[in-house]
Amino acid sequence: MNDDILLETRDLRVEVNGVPILGGIDLTFKIGQVYAVLGPNASGKSTLAKTIMGLPEYKVTGGDILFNSKSILGESITDRARMGIAYAFQTPPRISGVKLDDFICRVCPDYQCSDDSETFMGETCACKQILYDDFERLGIRNLANRDLNDGFSGGELKRSELFQVLSMRPKVMFLDEPDSGLDYDSLKIVGKELKAIREKHEVTLVIISHHRYVLEFLEVDKVYILQHGKLVYIGDMSDIPVLEEKGYERFLAEMTG
Amino acid sequence: MPSDNKKKRAHSAREKPSQYGSDIDLENYNYSTSKPNDLESLDELSEQDRILTQEVGFDPSQERVSATFMQFDNESFLADVLIQQEGLEVMPTDQALQKYDWLHDYLWNAVQVDTDKYTARSELENYSGYFIRATAGSKIKMPVQSCLIMKKNQSVQNVHNIVIAEEGSELHIITGCATPSNVEQSLHLGVSEFYVKKKARLTFTMVHRWSEMTDVRPRSATIVEENGTFISSYAILSPLKSIQTFPKVRLVEPGAKADLYSVVYGSKKSKYDIGGLLSLEAPNSSGKVISRSIATDECEIIARGDLIGLSGETRGRLECDGLLVSNTAVIRAVPMLAARAEGSELSHEATVGKVGAEQLSYLMSRGLNEEEATSLIIRGFVKLKVPDLPPALQKSIDDAIKMSMEGSM
Ligand SMILES: Nc1ncnc2c1ncn2[C@@H]1O[C@H](COP(=O)(O)OP(=O)(O)OP(=O)(O)O)[C@@H](O)[C@H]1O
Ligand SMILES: [Mg+2]
Repeated sequence: MNDDILLETRDLRVEVNGVPILGGIDLTFKIGQVYAVLGPNASGKSTLAKTIMGLPEYKVTGGDILFNSKSILGESITDRARMGIAYAFQTPPRISGVKLDDFICRVCPDYQCSDDSETFMGETCACKQILYDDFERLGIRNLANRDLNDGFSGGELKRSELFQVLSMRPKVMFLDEPDSGLDYDSLKIVGKELKAIREKHEVTLVIISHHRYVLEFLEVDKVYILQHGKLVYIGDMSDIPVLEEKGYERFLAEMTG
Repeated sequence: MPSDNKKKRAHSAREKPSQYGSDIDLENYNYSTSKPNDLESLDELSEQDRILTQEVGFDPSQERVSATFMQFDNESFLADVLIQQEGLEVMPTDQALQKYDWLHDYLWNAVQVDTDKYTARSELENYSGYFIRATAGSKIKMPVQSCLIMKKNQSVQNVHNIVIAEEGSELHIITGCATPSNVEQSLHLGVSEFYVKKKARLTFTMVHRWSEMTDVRPRSATIVEENGTFISSYAILSPLKSIQTFPKVRLVEPGAKADLYSVVYGSKKSKYDIGGLLSLEAPNSSGKVISRSIATDECEIIARGDLIGLSGETRGRLECDGLLVSNTAVIRAVPMLAARAEGSELSHEATVGKVGAEQLSYLMSRGLNEEEATSLIIRGFVKLKVPDLPPALQKSIDDAIKMSMEGSM
């Protein structure tokens, strides 16, 4: 059974600038399963994902993070990315002068040029057609030639993040509110993309969200609820409508009371 | 100005320090005493020299150029206009001055001989350099390439270049200056005077790559006439001892335009003091001075920009942006604006910042390592608003960033 576990946190304690944010969290994520990480604002959901990704300002003060049963606390962000951990940022920073399509070509093996010795960033990619088809599918063809995250709308940012993370072919992806700010049509597009991944049962999906649509559409396997930097509830799909109706405060009071 | 008068003015400025930059004792160097010899052809280039010239964008195969000028120290040169470039002339300045009496009016006209001790010294010693001219109406589409190489220790390369784009002509020049990295202590004095006549268009792209013991004091100025356009792109990518330069462009007639772009990639303990001055002297003249500085290691960069509006109906824009990649490097952006006439619209923007930790983390989370992420951010920063860099120059910049990143981490 343990063979299925891809990633786990054990009593994970994290602080930012000396302020404790996560106060000892135990979570497990299995291969090919879909998880929802939920919780009120500021409960520590993004912090959890960023810590697992290895962002340096999130200092682990206790506990451990295991990937394939090995601690990754000593690994750099780059190493974690290369071993198959991906994080779609809630608010990605702008990178001026770097075009989104060039960047995707650069970081994603699927789109990489075979003859890129001369092109440091893959600028003269001949294989861009496939890339552009994929842009089209996500409805963000217009972003291809724009600077990374420069003036992207809220919904565009989400789809651009999703696109990048998907193309990296990770083993586990943390999607930080992939559904917030999306219109109905975009929501469907994102839902479909994720569903296709789920159906292959190879990639572990961890979705941080405040909305039920995508979670229900994907039929998440497990629901984790964080509050004040602690794991306070483990449940499943059936909790989601109740949660929406009652809100976190009442739901948690009744459940954990 | 008669030539003995020029000598007199040069003598009077022999000790005059430069307005900016560290002072250099000019007596510490050997000056050339002989006239340079001809190089027969580029085939005579050694493999090493060939590579060095390519690093500053020179193409020894001469495939996509209209002419070539090359000079080693003050010793030997080659001037070669390729087949059927009607209306294009390329030759050593001293020969041109013998050939054309009128050219003396262009010598020390844009640049004043008594500007400082460097211009003075340049006049008082033997000099060489190139004279390039596009005659009236000639559209020279392929660039003229030039390369100045300095290989001797303890010596001075003293060049005086004159470029004239006559009325209605079009001329593109790509020039590189380089010293092999093993050269000990040397000095480059370079005077360049550019004349852009009515409706002419001149683009000038220059890449510098010096050794860590080289001091560099270029002095250049441009005069642009009615509806003429001057576009200059400059990149310095190597460490050196020090460079100080402050090229000046005068837009003297209506409709004249100039854009000055510079990219400074600073490394080691080098000191760069690099500026650009645009003087808007006639209605409807306009231009930009745009600089991008990247400071690594322990280098020091001063980026100056100066706009002077002497006439109404003029527009000038200044951007000095700096990116710090190291905690021990310094960038100082010094924008100056002076409007002396009503209706002169001058604006500026200056930013100096560090590579953002959040940006680095973001790029690394996509699988890039720290060096790759940093160089991507730097590349993006350089690219920003320095449009249409010639591919050779773009490649030199990329290579310099790549090399420096790999070397330092
Ligand atoms: N870089 C940071 N600097 C300072 N405080 C931080 C930082 N990152 C997170 N915090 C703090 O940690 C707490 C948890 O933040 P986190 O972003 O993890 O919440 P969240 O659960 O993702 O909330 P939301 O649903 O609003 O996105 C918050 O109080 C937040 O202000
Ligand atoms: Mg969050």
